[in-house]
Amino acid sequence: MPLKILIQFAQAHPDFRIPELLSVAQIYGFDIVVPPKPDVTRPFMTVEVQEEEHARLLAQRCILVKSVLELYASGPSYSHLHTLNRTQAHLWAPYKETPWKFMVTGYRQSVPKTRQREVVEGFSYMALEGRIDLTQPELELWCFEEYGPQDKAPLRPKYDRDGDFICVWFGRLIAKGTARPLIHKFDVKKRAYYGNTSMDAEMSLLMANQTLSAPGKLIYDPFAGTGSMLYTAAEFGAYVVGSDIDGRQMRGKERAPGVLRSAAQYGFAERIFDLFTFDVTWHPWRCGALFDAIVTDPPYGVRAGAKRLGRKQGVPLRDSITAMKDPSTYVPPTHPYELSTLAYDLVLLARFLLRPRGRLVFFLPTVNEEYAEVDVPQLEGMVVISNSLENFGAWGRRLITMVKTEVLDRGPPDLRVRNSEAGPQHVPAHKDFREKYFAGFNKPADTPS
Amino acid sequence: MVRLITHNLLACHVKGCNSNNFPLAFDGPQIEIREAEFNSDFLMGFFPKIEWSALVNASRQLGDQSLPEQQPDAENIDDALLKALHHVLLEIHVENGKMICPNCSHIYPISNGIPNMLLAEHEIA
Repeated sequence: MPLKILIQFAQAHPDFRIPELLSVAQIYGFDIVVPPKPDVTRPFMTVEVQEEEHARLLAQRCILVKSVLELYASGPSYSHLHTLNRTQAHLWAPYKETPWKFMVTGYRQSVPKTRQREVVEGFSYMALEGRIDLTQPELELWCFEEYGPQDKAPLRPKYDRDGDFICVWFGRLIAKGTARPLIHKFDVKKRAYYGNTSMDAEMSLLMANQTLSAPGKLIYDPFAGTGSMLYTAAEFGAYVVGSDIDGRQMRGKERAPGVLRSAAQYGFAERIFDLFTFDVTWHPWRCGALFDAIVTDPPYGVRAGAKRLGRKQGVPLRDSITAMKDPSTYVPPTHPYELSTLAYDLVLLARFLLRPRGRLVFFLPTVNEEYAEVDVPQLEGMVVISNSLENFGAWGRRLITMVKTEVLDRGPPDLRVRNSEAGPQHVPAHKDFREKYFAGFNKPADTPS
Repeated sequence: MVRLITHNLLACHVKGCNSNNFPLAFDGPQIEIREAEFNSDFLMGFFPKIEWSALVNASRQLGDQSLPEQQPDAENIDDALLKALHHVLLEIHVENGKMICPNCSHIYPISNGIPNMLLAEHEIA
């Protein structure tokens, strides 16, 4: 039986809400109907699911969900609300005898206690006969008064706009969000091993949900660094594989590799499938279609040098074995890996290495003013299903989720250094991102505005 | 780490090294046995990818005799064989030593469970 549910979201990463809901619905295999163009500046959203259990699953797994309610009624005023709520008796009448508790909360404004009591009394027509239980009620009725953003007037008295809400919502609590506290578990500062490129906990958890991580899956990060994406994917049960061109990032300074020490801290060292030092463009995988997901934050060339094996274009490689006198101390030469080429190559590689229907989840930094949808690498057999912006002002980064829709085995892609004629023709906003970043995103004088 | 399931997926990728580049031979392997959570769906999902004789030879080289020489059919894997497969694929870790390409002799050293598979300048195109 379909139910209309009200989700109360955390006010963070609004662009990431709907992709997360859809991903979690897919993990557990249920249908969900989301609004086509929600206003994500507001903390509430109504969605439709088929069963209450599905609403609980959203609360258990979505990092951005604070609570989930069965929506009884909403409106711009209490009289609207009560008119509508009276028609919903079939939904709340079954709880007539249940021990209950009533909560009246304001969003962006607190509701004074005296008026809270008035609000509760306004619902007396519901004629609830169960006893009031403030500690362990079976029924929690929540009433949210949603106030608009404060205007920029000087500080007003606390209850100056009391009652001037834009919407009041009323429903029965199904579940409080229990995934959000994982942000504390994965707090980078508490981690046994981390570095300056470690992804923050909240975002790495959102990325893990986009991968559809679950027990029995194998998930790969080809720019693993200090392992941030590996831990959160492992938290949800998957085996995780990491590789990086710089082994020191995964090892740290101690004998036991840092990534393993952090994984042990979290209680899942065993889920680190394997770790490798290699250049992913010269990878040793003998076949494709290995991974259920690839999740990564590729190096933008700002904090972490984006590089690959070889020498700068035009400099010939040495071809004799005397180049490597002592293998144990030999460090192969590398050259810069420009971001737009790296991003395109990542999608090419993912198409080879992913199982059909597998997902590629990665961050693409961009210059906001110049960004266009076509900047995201376009490739047959890889379809973009979400593109969420984390906005830092002049620049931002977009979490792109792609699905491999083809089954075809094209063999390993050729990633040898190409000249500019081959590969993508369109010049994306993130081309030469490093240079733009250090120029403060100011356009050079001769660029047409 | 390096687990035998992973070793079964690695080939030498030096430029021009295209045949007899799999499997990599272990040299001086120091192993550790670590318990892993049993998941039959995961094992059966990987079964089609496994190169059986490479797996059996690697396991014998490391002192394990539990797998049969002959590759079983996917439909005929009984519980005992599945448990053996689980142990060999996931619970034997090569922590230190080397992996050497049988074709070009490139040495991939393994230290504290992490192999270095970077290529030298003359080995990339």
